[in-house]
Amino acid sequence: MEKGFFYWIVQLTKEYWPYFIKGMWITVVIAIIGTILGFIVGFLIGMLQSTKVSEGDNITKRIGLSTLDWICRAYVSIFRGTPMMVQAMVIYYGLKMGGASISAFSASIIVLLLNTGAYMAETVRGGIISVDVGQLEGGFAMGMSHSMTMFNVILPQAFRNIIPEMVNMFLTNLKMTSELNVIGVAELFFVTKTAAGTYYRYFEAYIICAVIYYILCTFFTKLLSSIEKKTFDKKDYELAAEYMNLDEGEKNGN
Amino acid sequence: MEIKQDIIHSDEHSTNTPILKIDHIVKKFGTHEVLKDLDFSVQKGEVVCIIGSSGSGKSTLLRCINGLEKMTAGSVYFHNQKIGKDSKSINHFRSQVGMVFQSFNLFNNMTVLQNCMTGTIKVLKKDKEESKHLAIKYLKQVGMAPYINAKPEQLSGGQKQRVAIARALTMHPQVLLFDEPTSALDPEMVGDVLKVIKELANNGLTMMIVTHEMAFARDVSTRTIFMDQGLIAEDGTPDEVFKHPKNARVKEFLSRYINDTNLETEHKKKEA
Repeated sequence: MEKGFFYWIVQLTKEYWPYFIKGMWITVVIAIIGTILGFIVGFLIGMLQSTKVSEGDNITKRIGLSTLDWICRAYVSIFRGTPMMVQAMVIYYGLKMGGASISAFSASIIVLLLNTGAYMAETVRGGIISVDVGQLEGGFAMGMSHSMTMFNVILPQAFRNIIPEMVNMFLTNLKMTSELNVIGVAELFFVTKTAAGTYYRYFEAYIICAVIYYILCTFFTKLLSSIEKKTFDKKDYELAAEYMNLDEGEKNGN
Repeated sequence: MEIKQDIIHSDEHSTNTPILKIDHIVKKFGTHEVLKDLDFSVQKGEVVCIIGSSGSGKSTLLRCINGLEKMTAGSVYFHNQKIGKDSKSINHFRSQVGMVFQSFNLFNNMTVLQNCMTGTIKVLKKDKEESKHLAIKYLKQVGMAPYINAKPEQLSGGQKQRVAIARALTMHPQVLLFDEPTSALDPEMVGDVLKVIKELANNGLTMMIVTHEMAFARDVSTRTIFMDQGLIAEDGTPDEVFKHPKNARVKEFLSRYINDTNLETEHKKKEA
């Protein structure tokens, strides 16, 4: 009699669990590092692209900014316009051909961060635009410079607005890492491929793989949304009692 | 106009230089000319109310003065110093000339206290303690000190505007620009804000106030400018402008406001 579905699930799990765990770990590490570095790249570019040159600025600043802007546009356009799997191949083998000794793991992080950066650049730009222009003018009117207003006023608000999108991006990345198996990094999908190939039990192996991805995503969704809630939930303010009486005294005085 | 310009030129040579000089400002949005060659000066201690119908260019004028709007031609002088077009000189100028907006523009990510400390810390490079001291001082003045821990979204419009005024005052501005400070407020709150501005006027702060509150303009200003279609239609003491307007357009505009003005005055009497 042929061995059934559950037999193989148990068998594969028993035999390959250390590999699944290791693959899961690598998936999570690549996703977290790649996403965070990608966010940083995205923020830098998004900010740069929403910087305006003012009339009296000197020529070096103008040329510098417009060159940077052009480079950023090209970067965003290329990385949004090609599949990540292809980017992985091009970058990994391109670097190897150029003589760089780079591990598949580091290459994976680079690919993921570049991909994330390109998408985040647009998201950040959108987040910055979504903040009321009055906030910028409020800062300018006090003599704050563009970057001062950006860092202290606009970005914190833009950041708040794009958190749901950032969570989305992270979850997408968690799953997109599976594409990186093409350059041989031993993440979850790659490990599953190996496990499945041994006994030719593809269905059962990928069911295990799917369950692990699902658990990972659910776990991070819950975790991130509870962090978001705790950090940004509206809190009631308390009146500063030490200034209450004084105010009334002044009012009566008038 | 001719005579007025002569007066301005003679001012330049006297010791009493104007704090602000608006030098032939032109502002076009596309082909539409919003400000048509405006030219006047503001002396220290003057409270200039700018009135006129919507779309006459009042707000645009204020925004051009502190560089939030790029002017098409002309320039602004501060203590006879021409304000450069580069961000450094604009920022330095803005740090000495405050602005209060119709829509408050308090920083939504900060508490009331942080709002009032940001400018002094970041721009004037004062330490935290001194900044806090200044913030509390001016928040007390506008009656908002108990709310230091509140976020702007938790305040009413009138409260927000008073915080915005306190925030501007922490910078010790030499001139304070008000862009329709009460237009977004409900009638009950208008009084609170106007009272604060009136106190500032009594303290001798130089101000330019764009407003639709005619009674307030008449009572508080030392000089009233009536703008019509991008031009100054009338410029004089409130008495001259409100009681004996020479320009036909001004007469027509003010006659429409007479009823409102009476109402407001009554409202004020009740308050007092």
